Amino acid sequence: MGMREYILKRVASALVTFALIIVLNFFIFRIMPGDPARAVVGDVRMRPEMREILIRKFGLDKPLWVQFLYYLKNLAKGDLGYSFQYPGTPVTEIILGRRLMNTFLLMGGSIAISLLIGMGLGVVAAWKRGSKLDVAVLTFSLVTYSIPTFWMGLLIILFLGFYADLIPLGGTVTPGAEYANWFQYAADYFHHMIGPLITLVLSFIGYYFMIMRNTLLDVFTEDYMLTARAKGLKTRTVLFRHAMRNAMLPMISVIALEVVYLFSGATATETVFSWHGLGLLIYESVLRADLPVLQGLFLFIALSVLVANLLADITYALVDPRIRYG
Amino acid sequence: MSRAAVRRRTLFKRISSFWQLYKASKLGVFGLAVMVAFGLIAALAPFLTPYDPGDFVGKPLESPSLKHPLGTDQMGRDLLSRLIYGTRISLAVGLSASAMAVLIGAVIGLVSGYFGGIVDMVLMRITDVFIQLPTLPLMLIFVAILGKGIFNIILVIAILGWTPTARMVRSQTLSLKERPFVEAARAIGASDLHILARHIAPNVVPLIFANAAISVVNAVLSESFLSFLGFGDPRVPSWGMLLYYARLAGATVNGYWWFIIPPGVAIMLLALGFACINYSLDQILNPRLRRR
Repeated sequence: MGMREYILKRVASALVTFALIIVLNFFIFRIMPGDPARAVVGDVRMRPEMREILIRKFGLDKPLWVQFLYYLKNLAKGDLGYSFQYPGTPVTEIILGRRLMNTFLLMGGSIAISLLIGMGLGVVAAWKRGSKLDVAVLTFSLVTYSIPTFWMGLLIILFLGFYADLIPLGGTVTPGAEYANWFQYAADYFHHMIGPLITLVLSFIGYYFMIMRNTLLDVFTEDYMLTARAKGLKTRTVLFRHAMRNAMLPMISVIALEVVYLFSGATATETVFSWHGLGLLIYESVLRADLPVLQGLFLFIALSVLVANLLADITYALVDPRIRYG
Repeated sequence: MSRAAVRRRTLFKRISSFWQLYKASKLGVFGLAVMVAFGLIAALAPFLTPYDPGDFVGKPLESPSLKHPLGTDQMGRDLLSRLIYGTRISLAVGLSASAMAVLIGAVIGLVSGYFGGIVDMVLMRITDVFIQLPTLPLMLIFVAILGKGIFNIILVIAILGWTPTARMVRSQTLSLKERPFVEAARAIGASDLHILARHIAPNVVPLIFANAAISVVNAVLSESFLSFLGFGDPRVPSWGMLLYYARLAGATVNGYWWFIIPPGVAIMLLALGFACINYSLDQILNPRLRRR
């Protein structure tokens, strides 16, 4: 099978998963006990006229399968319903707005920084396996893996925010502040980002480090590594030309999947630091039983997973000539 | 010697040779020690605590003193006593949620791998979707649907935690069912159920244990997070719940360090213990790692 067929097949399978996600997204939110209509209009904050409109729009007085058709029709038009906590605001507007931007910047920054540090440490540790540095970073990874992220955030607020007074105690910008120009705003914004950024970087590094180190150790057992060394190549050539190139392959799919977090946000960190991103939105929506927003977020996150996977597989196929298309 | 005696003896030999390998790993022994220590604290809680965890025994938000070694919370309850009793809940929730997750995963993996075909395809598609969705946001969405409470927390952790076990058990089953002893069993007319229960399942058990250890880590961490956000049950205060009360009291912005640090350290130690156990089990049981 050729590359083109492989990609077509992969896209076809992604479409099947897409259908599955659409169906799941409808039924997961209908399995709760009680009146299924509660999911869309059961909220007390809703005005009666609005309720009438919604019942008609989503066919809530009709049987479940008809409601499913209505759901598909609205989805095709890009209509995900209206939020309860911000009455009258469309769900799409809430998700695809400022909050997405906030999450995107925070997650993008912390993933990039921790990838650089984690992978760098991974290469050195794998090459000098059993050295002091290797053991130290391994221990660090094991410990940070066991620390709940939200508690790490609490500690950072307590020490850097409360005792050292270096960072703000929460939020995305200082409430009520007036800015003379755009730069002042940006400075305030990034000052608020320091705390959540450090928290996320600390909790991500160990993960990237472990993957990089373990992949390299696997590569080291391959025959071509022995050959390369037997040929008398320089250590640096063996490490970067032979080992790194092969170890990068699994890393590609790891990195591609991290894309998902750009859209789902870091629920724990965002909540602790009151960072107004999508992760905090999930928490607030759960607290306020804002089911339309949650349904929209579920769809949004699941689709980003789908696309990230598709991209990962296709990149992999393009980069690695050994892949068996099948 | 009877057959049962022979079987007991081989089992004993297997266990003792496994222990020889296991005790060579410092991390593994450390993890086991942590697990036993927390088990003892949980069992002996009534004898270790100076006060009843629910009683209002002091002034609100007292900092640590001889009378209250870890201070008090906003209602004047003794935090050391609450921490010790919290061990029971955190340990119980972590263990039961992960047991449930691993059980679901093992059954799905066995069925999927053994029967193959359309069953396998459907189950693995579902696994694919679940395994890649980010866990924490999904947990919150499920809590919103199912409602608060400790039992729902266990359920949510299990519903979202079975996928890695399912995958691993499936691939092991796929290779096991092609082995000669399974073929022999089938040739003498053994039923599918018999083959699964007597020939395949016992060979997957070590793998399940390695998975269970890491699954406990995830369960403990997830529980602490969900309880921290206030989705737990105030009648059964876990460590995460202590941190929830700390947040309500504004512990970070007021500098009540004694309210924040001890519960987090406890969660970290418990998770670390199981992570170490997982690490050494993986080193012993995963053949891919042995050749390095």
